Amino acid sequence: MATAMQQQPYRGGSGYVARSSSSGLYDVLELILDKGLVIDVFVRVSLIGIEILTIDARIVIASVDTYLRFAEAVNRLDLMSTETQGLPELMEGITEGGASSKTKGMLQGAKEALFGDEDEEDEKEPATTKRRTSSTSAKRRRASSSSGSSERRSKSG
Amino acid sequence: MPATKHDMAKYVYGVVSTAASPPKGPGIDDAPIGVIPHGDVAALASDVAGDFLEAGREELLRHSRVLEETMAQAVVLPMRFGVVMPDEETVHQRLLDPYSEKLKAQLEEMDGKVEITIKGIYDEAAVLREVIAEDRAIAKLREAIHGKPEEATYYQRIELGELIAAALEEKRAAAAPQVIDRLAPLAVDVRVGEPVHERMAVNASFLVERARLKEFDRVVDQIGAEQAGRIQLKYTGPLPPHSFVELGIGG
Repeated sequence: MATAMQQQPYRGGSGYVARSSSSGLYDVLELILDKGLVIDVFVRVSLIGIEILTIDARIVIASVDTYLRFAEAVNRLDLMSTETQGLPELMEGITEGGASSKTKGMLQGAKEALFGDEDEEDEKEPATTKRRTSSTSAKRRRASSSSGSSERRSKSG
Repeated sequence: MPATKHDMAKYVYGVVSTAASPPKGPGIDDAPIGVIPHGDVAALASDVAGDFLEAGREELLRHSRVLEETMAQAVVLPMRFGVVMPDEETVHQRLLDPYSEKLKAQLEEMDGKVEITIKGIYDEAAVLREVIAEDRAIAKLREAIHGKPEEATYYQRIELGELIAAALEEKRAAAAPQVIDRLAPLAVDVRVGEPVHERMAVNASFLVERARLKEFDRVVDQIGAEQAGRIQLKYTGPLPPHSFVELGIGG
């Protein structure tokens, strides 16, 4: 357990809470898109490549892709050397398990929506490219859920 | 194509008191932020092209930063992203004039308060181990599938995943109050949101008095330490009170 803890990417005052101010865009995305004063008729700006992330994450919770991914994750549990892997490695291990490559993009989309900062820290990927790519793939996935391998996003990092 | 003066519209970031000065930082499209005063309240706005209809990461960041900068020196009621009004006259007619009393009251109400969002994400391995240990049906189904080829167990895998999702949902329902009930007494108001992620245990916004922020933070740290290895807490703020402002009608 102690080992897993040391690998957590962010530490707050007590060492256990990840903190950020509003300068981390993905921490405030939900708020600035969904909350605040609004006069509906004047909200006319549409977002390119970004808006789908939070919406897509909601849909993902109750989907066959998620179910298959959970099944794969519990299936693999005992195969891991219990506590020696940190979360990022763990997630990589699961996504690359090959149960269903389709789940890969989904997981990473959701992961990026939530863990974007940590990923940037870990992988040093240019954030803009990554966001757009992941949300584009989310859009595609939604547009044609029975799509094949050409729809998938391959991850370089 | 550069827009002529006539084609310009007003992008509105938020509402402040007339006494507040606009933030120095540039707004969307690098335009300077100005105030549109109306009695005691004023809209923070900048010029955008009249055909400004699409935005991306840069514009979202600007919106957020303008509010953040304003917040450092004044009370601000944030607008939702993407409010564009055709001209200054419309800002008066549709926002400042009809809602002036409401806006003034909310500016007073939000004085000295900030929004903090707390998200809790389950550690996947930890929570799945809990689920297997606590639920016979899940443990049995997992054993039945284990080691068999995926193609042969496709529907069982879906069933297993569905059971896990349901178990997580139950855990979520139990975990959220454990976090929220501890923090709510330190906040003026609370908004509980839906999980936006399959492993999200908690998603809540708290309106906290700046004077009590240290105390609030300390309890967040305590909960974080108690949940270490199980739920990772993510703290965002202080933010302008996005979740706690409203115009009442029509949104």
